[in-house]
Amino acid sequence: MKSAAFRMLCRFLIASMFAMSLQPAMAGVIGTEQAISATSAQAGRAALITTLSRSDVASQLQAQGVDPEAAKARVASMTDQEVTTLAGQIESLPAGAHVSGWAIAGIVVVVALIVWYLWK
Amino acid sequence: MIVSGWIHSPSQDARRRAGVFRSALTLALALALPLAFGGCAWLLPQSETLRLQWPGDLEPRVELDSVPFFPQEDYRCGPASLATVMTYDGTGVTPDDLVSKVYLPNRGGSLQVEMLAAPRPYGLVSWRLAPRFADLLREVQAGTPVIVMQDYGVGPFAYWHYAVVVGFDRDTGKAVLRSGEKRRLEIPFAVLEYTWKESAYWALAVLPPDRVPATADEAGWLQAVVAMERVADRKAARTAYLAALRRWPESLNGAIGLANVDYAQGDLQETESVLREAVKHHPTSVVALNNLAQAVADQNRNDEALALIDQAVALGGPFSAAAEQTRAQIRKKMGAQQ
Repeated sequence: MKSAAFRMLCRFLIASMFAMSLQPAMAGVIGTEQAISATSAQAGRAALITTLSRSDVASQLQAQGVDPEAAKARVASMTDQEVTTLAGQIESLPAGAHVSGWAIAGIVVVVALIVWYLWK
Repeated sequence: MIVSGWIHSPSQDARRRAGVFRSALTLALALALPLAFGGCAWLLPQSETLRLQWPGDLEPRVELDSVPFFPQEDYRCGPASLATVMTYDGTGVTPDDLVSKVYLPNRGGSLQVEMLAAPRPYGLVSWRLAPRFADLLREVQAGTPVIVMQDYGVGPFAYWHYAVVVGFDRDTGKAVLRSGEKRRLEIPFAVLEYTWKESAYWALAVLPPDRVPATADEAGWLQAVVAMERVADRKAARTAYLAALRRWPESLNGAIGLANVDYAQGDLQETESVLREAVKHHPTSVVALNNLAQAVADQNRNDEALALIDQAVALGGPFSAAAEQTRAQIRKKMGAQQ
């Protein structure tokens, strides 16, 4: 059985392979993302951490029933900051779903009473 | 207390239980609330402000009639409301196309971050509005339907829902929404605020790259464009930077973004002319000088490039290391050519 440390090492190596491929393709030109965030100094380290979070979030999406390929594409569309907000939070963040006509009617009644009471 | 902050969305079971208790709780709270709270200004501050003073730049009545409608019968209001605004932007996607992009089967819903991320590969820019009721109405007035996240829950049960705001009427005090199975749901501003407030007034506009939202600020909008550029094609990114420069003609990062797209496409002359214009307005931008030096060096005008990169290095700052690297490369190239 794989130990936790071994799995962590594997993930780190996979992530660093990704990070290597993230080296800017255009030597000499500073990218727009860097220019805007002004974080060129720690770009390398940040990229590695985010790559780890990205694979984390992708596997959490899979745990929520998303197909592996789709999960990868979904994470790719997120910014680094968005990935960070999702990491470890997917089960607890609010997820918008269906709402019935009765719920809407109930809220309308509640608010109508508040408004009637306070603004009458 | 009825407003319960940021609660975990209930599991399917809890949701069913919530349904059973909802009417009883609603009744109890309807009676208790007026006693518990001192004033509407505190409970529904933004509706109160709109009621007392309608912003001068807002029309009394707007409705975007041509916004399409995708009725949804199950838990898929995320894909449905995204498809509503994205179809209006001209992409022609359906809710079914978006299920695999924003829906979480085990949660039975869609996360806010994924709602923001999903339009980007289509070359659309996702704009998170400031948490202001008037800004929501300003975007609708500018012709942009806006997705809002609402909480229809009661007490400890959160009941999150996405709907699309497509219109408003000052005189009746109502907003018009595409919501769930209703093509045209009219609700009072106060009801919208009551449900919307729980998501910290979360609102999302999705725009085609040639448009900039009415309420956008330069820095925030360029971040939104960069987020799109990561996963969209260059043409959409170029269009978006051009639109940003039309709105903010002297935008430094707008020019850097446009020049970088041109550079990636190998259009060195265009890169150079965009950056020369940027340097004119921002002579102390290390990034603009560095990128300009590189584009000039790539056209084999090395002496000129060296003069530019010397300026960049002399300015210092967070990008000075990158500028020094560029200078070293230019010098190396000059050495090799001698």
